[in-house]
Amino acid sequence: MQRSSRLALFHYWVAFATFLPAVLLGAWQMLMRSPLPAPLDDSASYYASVTLHGTAMAYVVTTFFIMGFGYAVAATSLGRPLRGMTAAWIGFAICLLGTVMAVTAILSGRASVLYTFYPPLLASGWYYCGAALLVGGSMIWVVLMILNMRAWKRDNPGHPVPLPMFAITATAILWAWAAAGVTLELVGIVLPRAFGWSDLIDASLARTLFSVTLHAIVYFWLMPAYIAFYTLVPVAAGGRMYSDTMGRLAFIMLLVFSLPVGMHHLFMDPGHGSGFKFVQSALTFLVVLPTLLTVFSTCASLEIAGRIRGGRGLLGWIRALPWDEPMVLAVALSLVMLGLGGFGGLVNMSYAMNAMIHNTSWVTAHFHLIFGGAVVIMYFAIAYEMWPRITGRPLRSKRLACAQLWLWFWGMLITTVPWHVAGLMGQPRRVAAFDYADPLNARMGGLVVVSVIGGVILLGSAILLIAILIRSHFGLRRQAMPMGYAIAVNPPLRVPPALNGFGLWNAIVAVLMVLAYGYPIGQFFFMKQHSVPAVAVTSELESGGKP
Amino acid sequence: MVREQGPFKLGNPWPRIAWGSVAAVFIASFLIGFLVLGRFQQNGPTLGTWTAFCRAIGLSAASGSAGEPQPPRRTPTRIAWTNNTLAQIASGNEQHGAFVALSCTACHGEGGVSASTLFPTLAGMNSAVIYKQLDDFRSGKRLWGAMGAIAASLSDQQSADVAAYFAHRPGGLAPAAGEGIPEGGRSLRQRDPAIRLVFAGDPQRGIPPCAACHGPDAQKLGAPALRGQHIEYIERQLAAFAQGMRQNDINEQMRVIARELKPSEMHAVAGYYGGAGGDE
Repeated sequence: MQRSSRLALFHYWVAFATFLPAVLLGAWQMLMRSPLPAPLDDSASYYASVTLHGTAMAYVVTTFFIMGFGYAVAATSLGRPLRGMTAAWIGFAICLLGTVMAVTAILSGRASVLYTFYPPLLASGWYYCGAALLVGGSMIWVVLMILNMRAWKRDNPGHPVPLPMFAITATAILWAWAAAGVTLELVGIVLPRAFGWSDLIDASLARTLFSVTLHAIVYFWLMPAYIAFYTLVPVAAGGRMYSDTMGRLAFIMLLVFSLPVGMHHLFMDPGHGSGFKFVQSALTFLVVLPTLLTVFSTCASLEIAGRIRGGRGLLGWIRALPWDEPMVLAVALSLVMLGLGGFGGLVNMSYAMNAMIHNTSWVTAHFHLIFGGAVVIMYFAIAYEMWPRITGRPLRSKRLACAQLWLWFWGMLITTVPWHVAGLMGQPRRVAAFDYADPLNARMGGLVVVSVIGGVILLGSAILLIAILIRSHFGLRRQAMPMGYAIAVNPPLRVPPALNGFGLWNAIVAVLMVLAYGYPIGQFFFMKQHSVPAVAVTSELESGGKP
Repeated sequence: MVREQGPFKLGNPWPRIAWGSVAAVFIASFLIGFLVLGRFQQNGPTLGTWTAFCRAIGLSAASGSAGEPQPPRRTPTRIAWTNNTLAQIASGNEQHGAFVALSCTACHGEGGVSASTLFPTLAGMNSAVIYKQLDDFRSGKRLWGAMGAIAASLSDQQSADVAAYFAHRPGGLAPAAGEGIPEGGRSLRQRDPAIRLVFAGDPQRGIPPCAACHGPDAQKLGAPALRGQHIEYIERQLAAFAQGMRQNDINEQMRVIARELKPSEMHAVAGYYGGAGGDE
């Protein structure tokens, strides 16, 4: 096994080992919110569980998976060993230490802040230290990605950087920009209060800084799925990539337009006027562009593959696609969920319509459909693709893998569609229990029960995933196929410098960030004071609330 | 190669197009967000440009409220059930009232027993109810045809007199108190929706039983007895409460309840009180 392969594999292990228990927690949380009786019926456990589920899924699974994916992509797409292996292992260790610290703090019941960094709710300092270490460790990965791309460019002057490497570097730069917000919040505001060095906490400033991270992090999670759409799907389908340039443009646009938009999470926040909220809302709409480009390009790549395989007529190529390939099936299911979730997202990002669904179950349902559905199903497909190539042991059964993807797809739809409806009816998110005797809640009861059924299906699918990976892991070792990335219909011989590097785009992001966030953040230092006493979430506080 | 085409070399097409399109998007959203949307909150401009801009950046302390017309503050009635009010009502003189009532009979019928479904029967109605309604008509808290002008011509004392007169006329409404409840009447399992609503209400929708205030077997101050009233009149009042046309219930209780009732339920309840109820 190559050294960089082992590195990627360790990251994947942590990601998927965290994934399964987190799904179990999610299913239990949905049961808890439903009218059905739930084991361990206790609201303090619910809030701790939400924190653990969210922290595991949003920070741990994603960060480890993307880091592992990045190392694998860098080594295979550049066709040479990864530079900085020692630093990469140090980064892995730091992230793991941070994860253990954060999880311990949550399990002790002293960090039930619902996995956000929204003061005045305040968790134990250990939780924030763990989160900071996780982010800090991932910054080593960011630096390594940028350095590896730069080194390759230096050694291959005039050649276009391979699209997978270009895209994963865009992901790394995006994450560096995004993480700046939460890092500033943790270091400047939250940790000093958590350690008792200050009494008050500026809630509005902290929330604004967190919003810098909040939306870009979603695109950080999304990027591996998009990279698979462009570079892995055409190979699995037996065709070619529709356009290399379109891919580069899409990743550049994602980098530029997912950053100065986070204030659409603060539409209801009293700390800001309407102007910047609208500006960021308008900029948010522009992330639709790279998504539509990607959907178009992916469908076009699939059509090319279908026609190569002998598909005829307007839609005949669809039937000709190899639907027994997990990667091909996953991309179709992913695009369906991306479409449904995307339309819901248009409501969230609209300044006026957001008011209908702000802080309701609609929002939770939305990001489960987009992230838990469209993105994570591509993580599965990537795992099925990469595991055999890393370990040299092929998947035991592609049919079982496809069944797992179908289960995940239906489970996610059955969970999230009624969840959206309950949100529209006004069901708040992050609430442990509802009084279903109340006529206002009674009509939501049936919907939540349907979501519970979906949750159970998801749990079954997650168990199947782990079973497939473990079974394949102990299978017969064969010769490992090298990782192959799609070649474009017209492979680029030269690309303009703007599409081969990030200097121009980083400059644009910097200016946009200053314009979009300069005043909203700066105002707190000159004009407004929003410092309030923090509300510490500790086990004493929670048990104190009950007789 | 990257060096010769730096991010700020606007002579080259890529930087020029990228900066240009980003700037265009930003400027357009800035203008809409800070000037247009702030100024035109409704169909016309409601704020000055400068005020709109200040609000858009979140500085609203000195800019005053938006120039939108505010609805006048509204109290449902001038009547409160104080000792003074109750003493005033109790001082009503039936004989004086008979004289005042001469101008009522054209619509409300001889002795307050109305023949038309447009006008409520007043005979047997509690004097406090009549007194309050007259005051509400006088102050414009309740509006209906000529009643405002007629009530305005009466003094407080004359209102009390005529209330006492009608309260003691026979042959109209059945007294609210002192009657039994139908067998099994207070049960939520009652089949007849009218009897269920009247005696048990509908807790799931926050509807108390009608009988708790309007009888039979109970009465609250200010709530009229209803048995024997015209069906159409009761139904029309429920609809008026539901639509907010009538707003003189002191604690908004009738508006809240009526909004929850379906038209069929209004009809059924009115039928219960106005139909069989009056004849018994």
